[in-house]
Order: sequence, then C-alpha cells, then structure tokens
Amino acid sequence: MLEVKNLSKAFGGIRVTRDVSFKVEPGERRVILGPNGAGKTTLFNLLVGALKPSGGDILLDNESIVGLSVSQRARRGLSRSYQKNNLFEDLTVRENLALAAASAQGKFAWMSRDSFRDKSVLETVEEVAEHVALADHLDMQVRSASYGSRRQLEVGLALATKPRVLLMDEPTSGVGPSMIDGFHRLLQGLPKELTVLIIEHDMDLAFDVADRITVLNFGEVVFEGTSGETRGNPIVREIYLGEGLEDA
Amino acid sequence: MFFQSHARTAVLLFVLIGLVLYAATGSYFAREIVVEIAILAILAISLDVAAGYGGMVSLCHGAIMGMSAYTYAILSVKFGLPTLPSAVGGIAAAAVFGTAVGWITGRTAGIFFIMATLAFGQMAYTLIFKSRWLGGDDGMGGLDRFDLSWLGINLGDSLSFAVYTVVCLGLVYLAAAWVLRSGFGRTLSGLHSNEDRLQALGVNTVIHRARALGFSGLLAGVAGILAAQHTLYISPELLFWTVSGEILIVVILGGLGTLVGPIVGAVLFVMLKHEVSEYTNHWHMVVGLVLIAAVLAGGRGIFGQIEYWAADRRRAGKEQSAEAGDA
Ligand SMILES: Nc1ncnc2c1ncn2[C@@H]1O[C@H](COP(=O)(O)OP(=O)(O)OP(=O)(O)O)[C@@H](O)[C@H]1O
Ligand SMILES: [Mg+2]
Repeated sequence: MLEVKNLSKAFGGIRVTRDVSFKVEPGERRVILGPNGAGKTTLFNLLVGALKPSGGDILLDNESIVGLSVSQRARRGLSRSYQKNNLFEDLTVRENLALAAASAQGKFAWMSRDSFRDKSVLETVEEVAEHVALADHLDMQVRSASYGSRRQLEVGLALATKPRVLLMDEPTSGVGPSMIDGFHRLLQGLPKELTVLIIEHDMDLAFDVADRITVLNFGEVVFEGTSGETRGNPIVREIYLGEGLEDA
Repeated sequence: MFFQSHARTAVLLFVLIGLVLYAATGSYFAREIVVEIAILAILAISLDVAAGYGGMVSLCHGAIMGMSAYTYAILSVKFGLPTLPSAVGGIAAAAVFGTAVGWITGRTAGIFFIMATLAFGQMAYTLIFKSRWLGGDDGMGGLDRFDLSWLGINLGDSLSFAVYTVVCLGLVYLAAAWVLRSGFGRTLSGLHSNEDRLQALGVNTVIHRARALGFSGLLAGVAGILAAQHTLYISPELLFWTVSGEILIVVILGGLGTLVGPIVGAVLFVMLKHEVSEYTNHWHMVVGLVLIAAVLAGGRGIFGQIEYWAADRRRAGKEQSAEAGDA
C-alpha cells in the first residue's frame, strides 16, 4: 500500500531522516515509536508532502508520489492529523467537518450549489461526529471548545476525508486516561481495510493496536517487528522502552 | 462563513429602497450622490468577497475597476464596438486581471500580499498614465451609456441612471451572496481560516485564491463600467492606489466579512464626505477619525458591531430561558 525507500531529509547540516525504508500493507496498523526529536513528525511531513525529501522515494500503490503536492496526495487518499491542533479556529465543529468532507468529495469548487447542504457531506459530518464523540458539540465554535474536543476534532478532520491511508501524529497527546480509552475504541472501530500509521507515546495503546511497530532513533529505523518482538528487543528497550515498560 | 439573515436582508432592502427614494425625490445633486454610493458599494462588496471572506486584503481593487473602465472605453471608442459587448469585455478584463493577480500572489500572505497587490495596481496605473494612445493623464472621453430606449428607459436622464446603478448594486449583492453560499464560498472561508489545513484536505488553494480574486474582479468590473458611464469620461486616477485604499476604508467602516456592512459603509462614507466638506476641506481627517474609532471599538465596523450585539443579546436570551427551563 505505502512504501518508503531510502528516504532522507536534512535541515541545513542536520540529518533528521536517515535512509528510512519500510513497507505498510493494506489494512495494516503500523505504530511509529521513538524518543522526542527522533524524526517521527518529520517523517509524516515527508509522507504527506509538507516537506520535500533530500533523497529517496515514497510509493503509494506502487506509484511514486514524491513529485505530488500536499493537496494532490490528499486526493490520492492520504490523510493526516497533527500533533499540534491545526483546525479552522474561527468556524464551528460542524463547519470544520463539512469542509473536510466537501474537500474530499470534490465539492469544494461548486459555484452554484452549497456543499454544506449536500446530502452525502451532511451524512459524513454526522457519521464522523458520532465516531469522534462530537455529535453533541457540532454547533460549538472551535475556538471556545475544550482541548479534549479539539483533539477529537483533529482526528475527525482527518477521518472526514474518508482516507485510504490515515496518518495520526500523537492523537492522544495531552489528554487524560478516559479519553485515551475512548481513542482506543475509536481505533478499533475504524474500517478494517483502512491503512493506519500512528505515532503514539502511550505504550499500552501502541502495543495493543499495532500489527507492526517501527522504531526511529536519530532519524534512523533501528527496529521493526510485531508488538511482541518489539517488547522483547534489547536495542529497543535500551533506547526507548526502558522507562516506558516500567511504567506499563 | 457567509449567512444571509433576515436582518441582513432587511437592511439591504432598506438601503436599496432608500437610495431609490432619495434619488426620486431629490435634486440632480442627490442623484449624483446615489450613483457615487452605488458604485462605491459595489466596489466594497467586491473587496469584501476577497478580503472579508477570502482573507485577501487587496490594494488593487481601484486598478481592477479602472481596467474594466478603460477596456470599455477602448472597445467602444477606439474600436467602435456597441456598448453592451464593450461592457462585457470590460468586466471580463477585470476578472482576468483579478485572476492573474491571485495566481501570481498565490503563495504570498499577509503584508506581502498587500504589497504585491499594491505593486500590481500601481503598475497598471503607470502603464495607462504613460500611454499616449489612451490619452495619458488627460484620460479618455466620448463614452456612451447603454441605449435602453427599447425598454422605454432613457439612461441619459439622471434619475433613470441613478436607479440603474442601484439595480446593478442589488444584482452584484445577489451574485456575491449566491457564490459565497456555494461550495466555493465555503472553501473560501476555510482558506481564510487555515490555508495549510485546507491544502492537507485536498484543496489546491492557489487555484482557489485566483478564482476568488477573479470573481471579486468581475464584480469590481461592474463598478468600472458604471463609473465610465457615469461621467462619460475616464482618467488614470481611477486606478490610483488611494482609490483602493478608500474602498478598504469603506469595507472596514461598514464591517469586514458581513457583505451588507460594506454597503452601509459606502452610504456613510459618501454622506460624511459631502456633509463634512460643506464645512471644512479636511473631510479626510474626519473620515480618518471615524475609522480609528471603528477600529478601536473592536474592528467589526458599524454594521458588524450592531450585528454582534444583536447576536450577543440573542445568546444571553437563550441562556436565560434555558436556565428558566431548568428551574
Ligand atoms: N523545519 C525544521 N527546521 C529545522 N529543524 C527541524 C525542523 N523540523 C524539525 N526539525 C528538527 O528535526 C528533529 C526531529 O523533529 P521531529 O518533530 O520530526 O521529531 P519527533 O520525533 O516528532 O519528536 P516529538 O516526539 O517531540 O514530536 C528535531 O531535532 C527538530 O528540532
Ligand atoms: Mg512529533
């Protein structure tokens, strides 16, 4: 489904992504682990086209997408939620979701019809709102919504495009245990055929949902394997999980 | 995000009917004022589409209007085309100019966008100012108004012409409201709010910025035709950046991003100008003071502020009745 080949990125002289290669199968749940500054967010930025790589290739369905813009990649079915909320602040929750749905459904350029009254846009809004537990807050102004709701909307925006590949950057960052549980259920409720890459710091969640785990350190892939293999791997324990596992 | 409330419809109709009545019962001078208001209001609506809804604060809307007026003059005077196709050509030229500006500035934002539009506008101004063929700073005369005698209307008559400009204002408002309520209009609000995220959702924002300025240019083009038909003479002054600045002042005064506000702003601006200039030559200073007051009061503009208060009271009322329901 998604294949990354020898991907590199340097800012000035600092190599933030080093020769990263991996392959994600359709419907796979892939968790990306790594300490702060390992280059996880940078990897996502490269995948969606927000950053241009210094070298390497990205294939979606065996086709290179490195030459495509952010919006072109999004229209190929790549969707992403952000580590730091990146929402339409001065609009309502409903308007946020409708914009995402209309964009994905190609209704954003309509000159004579209102995309916000379109039946399938409205259905997607309701469905996604239900999914991210915002159904009761649709008319809330995003600016005045709670941090938790905004976090849910962040994922909701990515979901409302009905992606084929969903990239989630620390969706549970900064939220409490009950919301992490809720998010866990959300992940389990996602369609089986959806391919998901998720950067996650919560170990229980990561090990539970992952089909496979890729571990980054200093921009490099230092390990890849199943949850079980990752748990037991000495390198991984040393560079990252040492404290993580004790907590768990 | 655009919405057409009953209050907005009421204010719009009140102003349009008021303008017609003022022209009908007033002197020749009153009709001139109505025409001035209608043209300025169309420009303000055009700029509100770009700036208030799309977040693109342009300082070249005067130039866009001027391009339309000059194209109208070139086609009808230089090439002898009938007035109607000349007007269509003028409006099209304004739309193309707007689209081009939008396209070229597609990746700039904020102050850089403003400066870029200023530069484009001044470029157009200089080109026309320097052109002998177009009369340079002497401008061009010999223009005509539409011949509507087949409808029994004589646009040469000051009252008919005033009513005609008010009708155009109404149509421009309808067109703007129609488009702002479309999928494209929604996209425009998204672009204003968070361009990056919109891109990540699959929208090519450069194309849509260009389209937005193209549509805005088209509306400004209508004002250009009216301006040319009004004085039957045009000069490069139409394109000068201060005209664009004045339009921006009108939009801010009335209420950025309210669509009706800019019309209210145009009425106030023109009235203020004529009233104050009876007493002093420094009417610009008075307008400046009013503008500063409007900005300091929250920047919502006069119509915008009133609308905000009304919404606030409604919210408070709702909460109160909800509390009463709980008790
Ligand atoms: N635009 C940029 N310019 C320069 N350096 C950058 C840029 N973006 C990221 N970096 C650097 O690249 C490194 C990796 O950053 P990145 O955000 O990808 O890490 P991360 O794994 O997502 O970390 P975290 O867990 O804290 O989110 C960091 O050292 C960061 O300072
Ligand atoms: Mg990160």
